[in-house]
Amino acid sequence: MERRTSERLVNLTIALLTARTFTSKDRLRDLVEGYHGLNNENFDRQFERDKDTLRALGVPIETGTDERYFADEPGYRIRRDDFELPPLSFGPAEVAVLVTAAQVWQQASVAESTTRALTKVWASGVEPDIDRLGALRPHISAREPAWQTLWDALQARRYVTFTYHNMARRVAPFVLAYRHGAWYLAGFDDTRGAPRLFKLGRIQGEVSLTGEPGAYELPATPATELLAGLEEAQPDATALLAVRSGRAPWLTRRAELVAQAEGEWRRWQLPYASGGAVVDDIAMGGADVRVIEPAELAEAVKAHHQALLANLGVTP
Amino acid sequence: MTAAPQVARLLILVPYLQQREYVDVAEVAADFNIKPRQVLDDLQVLVMCGLPGGLPDDLIEIDLDLAREEGLIHMRNSPLTRPLRFTRDEAVSLIVAVEAVREVADGPTAQAAQSVIDKLSGLMGEALPVRLEVAAGGDDVRDRLGEAIDQGLQVRLTYDGLARRGTTTPVVDPTRVEVRDGASYLVAWALDRGDWRSYRLDRIADAELTGQPAKDHGAPPVASGSFEDTPDTATLDLDASAAWVAEYYPVRGVTALPDGGVQVVLPVADPGFLTGLILRLGPQIRFVDPPSAAADALAEARAFLGQLD
Repeated sequence: MERRTSERLVNLTIALLTARTFTSKDRLRDLVEGYHGLNNENFDRQFERDKDTLRALGVPIETGTDERYFADEPGYRIRRDDFELPPLSFGPAEVAVLVTAAQVWQQASVAESTTRALTKVWASGVEPDIDRLGALRPHISAREPAWQTLWDALQARRYVTFTYHNMARRVAPFVLAYRHGAWYLAGFDDTRGAPRLFKLGRIQGEVSLTGEPGAYELPATPATELLAGLEEAQPDATALLAVRSGRAPWLTRRAELVAQAEGEWRRWQLPYASGGAVVDDIAMGGADVRVIEPAELAEAVKAHHQALLANLGVTP
Repeated sequence: MTAAPQVARLLILVPYLQQREYVDVAEVAADFNIKPRQVLDDLQVLVMCGLPGGLPDDLIEIDLDLAREEGLIHMRNSPLTRPLRFTRDEAVSLIVAVEAVREVADGPTAQAAQSVIDKLSGLMGEALPVRLEVAAGGDDVRDRLGEAIDQGLQVRLTYDGLARRGTTTPVVDPTRVEVRDGASYLVAWALDRGDWRSYRLDRIADAELTGQPAKDHGAPPVASGSFEDTPDTATLDLDASAAWVAEYYPVRGVTALPDGGVQVVLPVADPGFLTGLILRLGPQIRFVDPPSAAADALAEARAFLGQLD
């Protein structure tokens, strides 16, 4: 049964693609063997379903009339230029990149789409006869349950609904962003009437598709300002630290060495964003880091360590 | 109605076969990521397809016996010469995958990846609705490591590892670069440990060639250096403000506490890592089990306060 369906759909595609002009439905019924033997009602239903299936696969079936022959009867066609992948050429280094790209997605559905895109490249005359880059294993995973629905919504330009911060939202997805292993969605939140950024891991419950495909257009530079919110805050202050030689490299790598040294201690000037995580960053250095100035920062780090000892029931 | 995936494939398979005079069934199966049996099934459908008219010359011709018995495909009379255009989903999936390669690649390979992205984006004709950012460290380090891997050379890393909270200079035989959970890792044989280790690329401050060739240590284990096979765990009760720990680390378990806090069970691959995390979380930690897991962190905090006097 599946074989007969595939056969009919491929033959319909070829018939529409090779016709010089619009072809009427009745003519297609004659041309495509898979339609023979169906009564009118079944043929009509089958033909509509076939068109939908092909369009969903990206086959551009156009409707129109050829004035000369059937003034009042609609016909169908596929323009070759709309159907065919334009010529592509890739050098050996580029083919190696493409072959490596086949292994990147860990999500079955997207991995399949990637494979299908690649087979189109190979069908276009590019030979995948080059080994993948053995020394590179980039993987992208998306473990967040919300991910697949949001990806589908984004490709189809459909609205989604979900709960975030205990509030029901209706959102037009603009961009999915993967940063440091977590996925974010930037989009227009209809409920709030403003663009918003959502962390997928914090979406509560299910995400549902709603409304029709193609319900909105992507902005030209989608959500640039929103995504800038994911960047680290810019430094607006400088601290003077004493750090034991060779310790706390996560601090010293973004600091500048100051000439004066005392034994195993080196002095560093560290630019930091106030209101950021500088206290946590310094505290992680334990006894290898001391804050010389500013006094408020020195006090904050001291309070941080005192609270740790107090919480875990140890007297300082 | 499950014919759609097969139809999508057939519309690609016809021009694919048209480009290749003779091709192995096994090769087609590998390129399309399907079983050889499925390839033969596809061919059986194709011989019933062709130009409308129903005359023998109108149909696609494939010697099915040759395909079944010799595993070789030869097609004639193709009505399709070019594959169908990319759907948006296909184009985005492939471009993002190539971006992931570019993010971890070194010099010439990164350039090749960018050129592929440019060509594919040109076909798509709209902005890419997906952004990738992989913590992959500096270009210099990546180029040097790429060169060392290609030529089989040993390197000395300057590594700012979080586990020891200090800089170390391990000598390693580098093998490959992996991306896991949004960060790139160098997988290498560490000479001093006599074992495989992963080093986060963004914590490698420098990599210099030692002038020695790297030795062959066989293939590294999959996901080496990850937390997955660690038997030890520590349980931390945290304030709600520290709930990010459960998203950021591969925790074994997360339980909500009645007042909004969370309890997380963390695998402890390296006690130094846990000490750093506890010092960092400070006031946001309420309880650690077993208490001994916090001993080093508490000693550090006490030593810090002692230095102030």
